[in-house]
Amino acid sequence: MNRNVQYLLFGSIFGFVLSRVGASDYNLIFRMFTGEDLKLAYVIITAIITAGIGMAVLKRLGLKGADGNPITVSKKPLHFRKNILGGAIFGLGWAISGACPGTVLAQVGEGKLLGLVTMFGMVLGTFFYALTTERQEK
Amino acid sequence: MSILHTLLVEPWPWWLGGIAIGLLVPLMYYFLNTALGVSTGYGNLVKLFLPRSKLKWLHTATYANVFNWRFYFIAGMILGGFLSARFSGSALLTSEMGLFTENVRWPFVGYVLWFLSGGILLGFGSRVAGGCTSGHSIHGIANLHPSSILSTIFFLLFGTIGVAFIRMLLMGGVS
Repeated sequence: MNRNVQYLLFGSIFGFVLSRVGASDYNLIFRMFTGEDLKLAYVIITAIITAGIGMAVLKRLGLKGADGNPITVSKKPLHFRKNILGGAIFGLGWAISGACPGTVLAQVGEGKLLGLVTMFGMVLGTFFYALTTERQEK
Repeated sequence: MSILHTLLVEPWPWWLGGIAIGLLVPLMYYFLNTALGVSTGYGNLVKLFLPRSKLKWLHTATYANVFNWRFYFIAGMILGGFLSARFSGSALLTSEMGLFTENVRWPFVGYVLWFLSGGILLGFGSRVAGGCTSGHSIHGIANLHPSSILSTIFFLLFGTIGVAFIRMLLMGGVS
């Protein structure tokens, strides 16, 4: 299968599952943060454990992909201050919009107009970040 | 009820959603040698809107091709949300956003500015932190990256603080 079609398929599954499990539901995000309904916290924890087991299985099998080529596991380097600062900014954005970069896409597909606004804001925020990196390099 | 009805119409239980999302990480490595992640793809959308921009950041290897895998992945996620909503029979378009639009009585333009600013913080913050809930919190923690664990702690900490203030100041303590 064409690789782009596979990415489209994986993305569709991700968006579909996020929507089905309620991750794109403003109220469930809100109630996770107030502690009234921890369903989405359980979803995240289950996903982390499942992904961790899956990666351990891949490693046990020699980290080889379906095509027989080695798998390169990406590593995100630790930038202590950036991880904290970015994490805090992101957290506030999560609270304000009730969405994160993945779930907002599911919201757009579901037809939530304010989700589309959040998504446009994310494009704008990414653009602002690009502007700040430009200034740093000069 | 049939299994199709359970899978397509009713909300999924947490364990089913968690397992399905978690499996995406090893499966995307196995079939495509790709790390799960969404927020980097918003750079593709910036470049799509501003194809002639001279910003150096948009000309790094990550964004050499706007229509690389991230574009298809994002398009798929929108399609997945669309299919989910069609199967469950919700309205095609809605201007509501749950508890927020129920409890905060603002004109629509106020909602737009609010969600726009939330989006700006999400877009900016995820680039500073180097990832979002999928790339850091799920892919990163599953691979025990210290940067992902640290970022996720601050995602959740400031999400909790933010919602506490929103609930107190804008919603009159509603639950």
